[in-house]
Amino acid sequence: MTDHEWLALAAPYALDALDGDDRAAFEAHLAGCEQCRVEVASFREVAGQLALVAPAVEPAPGLRDRVIAEARRVRLLASRIPRPASRIPWLAAAAALVLALAAGYGYWRERGDRRALEQAVLLARDSLAARDSLLNAVLAPNVGTANLAATGKPPSARLFWNPARRVVVIAVFDLPPAPAGRTYQLWGIATGKAPVSLGVFNPGPNGRLTTALAVPAELVFQVTAVTEEPAGGSPQPTQTPFLIGEVRRSE
Amino acid sequence: MTSDHALVQRMAAGDERALGELYDRHGRAAYALACAIVGERADADEVVVDVFGQAWRAAAQFEPARGSVGSWLATIARTRALDLVRARGRRSRALERAAQLSVESGGEPADRTVERTEARGLVTRALADLPEPQRRAIELAYFGGLSQSEIAAQLSEPLGTVKTRIRDGMVKLRTLLGGDST
Repeated sequence: MTDHEWLALAAPYALDALDGDDRAAFEAHLAGCEQCRVEVASFREVAGQLALVAPAVEPAPGLRDRVIAEARRVRLLASRIPRPASRIPWLAAAAALVLALAAGYGYWRERGDRRALEQAVLLARDSLAARDSLLNAVLAPNVGTANLAATGKPPSARLFWNPARRVVVIAVFDLPPAPAGRTYQLWGIATGKAPVSLGVFNPGPNGRLTTALAVPAELVFQVTAVTEEPAGGSPQPTQTPFLIGEVRRSE
Repeated sequence: MTSDHALVQRMAAGDERALGELYDRHGRAAYALACAIVGERADADEVVVDVFGQAWRAAAQFEPARGSVGSWLATIARTRALDLVRARGRRSRALERAAQLSVESGGEPADRTVERTEARGLVTRALADLPEPQRRAIELAYFGGLSQSEIAAQLSEPLGTVKTRIRDGMVKLRTLLGGDST
């Protein structure tokens, strides 16, 4: 693409109207192009002003109180998180994400049948029933979801946690297979606690994988992360996670 | 008057009153935008609580170089509102609302603040100056959350045509709006 062609993408990008592939390509270009960044910023202001066209509607008087109450709740949540130990600095990042949790996502303490879970996981590995099982695990009510991302750039992953069945389904995108002798490991992190392994996985050469992993009994977690570890996995992460996300309850 | 940016800095330090003041300044704009996108008032309430909650949590990360506080809040509000519309599977109704916006903009009650009324008049006139197809494409993108190819499908127009309309329309808007609103 010529410089001129890139520049032409700034307006639709600022409007959030680029289609997926174009957007990814343009974002990669933006990282190294000051001219396009300036162009995007100026169109962003234009897009921001479009909001003013919305017809005025008077908000309910109680809305201000709700806004303030929400802030208080967030602060309360934050105050409950212990200072992360310095020897595991990346927990600080996880704690920061926990801060970002709006509470009310709730804790799910439903107890599933362990055997049923294991069966579900076995099924999820290769048979035709795997798809059904994955689908049911993902579509059930009360499933928590998390988008794991590295600051908006690939790779990314989406996690579905079915607490009733104690299973997570993770779908990974644009993640190259781990180097020889290494694997990827998924972690569940409860507020202020050490990460707990949810299992290891390795995508195929196309960088994609969807798999089901068992969640240890009693584990309730708010943040999920992926690290690269020696084959077989580690009891505790040895690396900084390259994917991290907060768990949300589905609508 | 304290600048918006100063309020956001105080919020980052945990000052609740600063949040209240930010709401007093921008709450109506966020609410109006949320209503325009989600339609239902109860949903718009939820969006606004979410918007200021996110602003509260992310206050320390606000970068004034990237734009004004107003456009930052508008971006959050638009994103949250569109997420809600998608989550509720109400996209088609949202698109109908997006199509209605310019029609409605004429005879509505005046806004409370003079600045907002003036700024609003400026944007409404600028949009009205655009050729209808350009305006429509931009509104579908902004209020309907559609991508260029989705707009092309929605309007049964070639993708190239839609791309040109969006680009030309945005360039013209930028000129009409004088580029800087901060």
